[in-house]
Amino acid sequence: MLAEIQEGKALNPVVKHITQEKINLYAEASGDSNPIHIDESFAAKTPLGGTIAHGMLSLAYVSEMMTSAFGRGWLSGGKLRAKFKEPARPGDTLTINGKVDCIERKDDVSYANCTYECRNQKGEMIVVGEAIAKLSSAEK
Amino acid sequence: MPDKAISYEELTPGYKFPPATYELNASFVSKYLKAVDAAGDGFVPPLAITACAIAGMTKSVPLPPGTIAIHASQDLEFLKLVPVGATIECQIGVAQKIARGKMSMLILDLEISDKGKEKVQSGKATIALPA
Repeated sequence: MLAEIQEGKALNPVVKHITQEKINLYAEASGDSNPIHIDESFAAKTPLGGTIAHGMLSLAYVSEMMTSAFGRGWLSGGKLRAKFKEPARPGDTLTINGKVDCIERKDDVSYANCTYECRNQKGEMIVVGEAIAKLSSAEK
Repeated sequence: MPDKAISYEELTPGYKFPPATYELNASFVSKYLKAVDAAGDGFVPPLAITACAIAGMTKSVPLPPGTIAIHASQDLEFLKLVPVGATIECQIGVAQKIARGKMSMLILDLEISDKGKEKVQSGKATIALPA
C-alpha cells in the first residue's frame, strides 16, 4: 500500500453508522461517561437536544482510515489535527474521506501530508482536519 | 486524578493537574476495539491512549455543575507504539484560557509517557464551555 502513496491520491474512505449502543460502548471503554453522551433524558433538555457521540469516536474512524493507508507510519510518527464542527448523533452514518495533499521530506524521512473530512449522511461536516503520516525514506 | 480542590475560575495557564496512571490491559483494549469497530494488532491503538487521557481530563476539569463542555478541537502526535498491558502516565496542564463572547475556551496540553518515562504521545485539546 505504501508504495502506491503519491500526491493527490485519495485514501480509502471509512463509513460507519453511529448508534446509541456504540456510543454507550465507547463511554464504557474510554471511561468518558459524560451524560451528554449516554443519558438521553438529560441530553434532550440541553441545547443539543439529544445525545451526541464522543468527538474521539469520530476521530477513531479517521485513525482507522490512516492506519489502513499508512500502517505503522501512522501509529508511530503520525500527527493529527481535528476541528469538531458539528456533533455526530445516534442514527448518523459518517463517511470519512481523505487524500494525500503533498509528500514532504525532512531529515531524510518522507511524510505524507493529508487532509480529511468526516461528514454525516446529510453532507454536514462533523470533523475536518489534517493528518501527517511518516513514510519510509524509500517511498519518495 | 480528579482535582476537585481547585475551581474552574482558579484554573490559570501553567496549572498542572496531578498526573494519572492507567494500565492499558487486554480487557481495556478489547472493549475499545469493540466500541470503535476495529481489529487489534497487539498494540494499543493510539486513539485509545488519547481516550484515556481525555476521559481523565474531563473528570479533572472542575466545571460548574450542569455545564456542558464541548470538545472543540484536538491536536495529537503519536511518538511511540504502546504494547497491550503497558502502563502509561498522563499529564494535563492548562495552556490557555480564553473568553470569547458568551463562550470560554480552555486549551489543555496533554503529555503521555510510558513506564520508562519515554513520551508516547503529546497533544492539545480545546474545550469550549459557556462563560
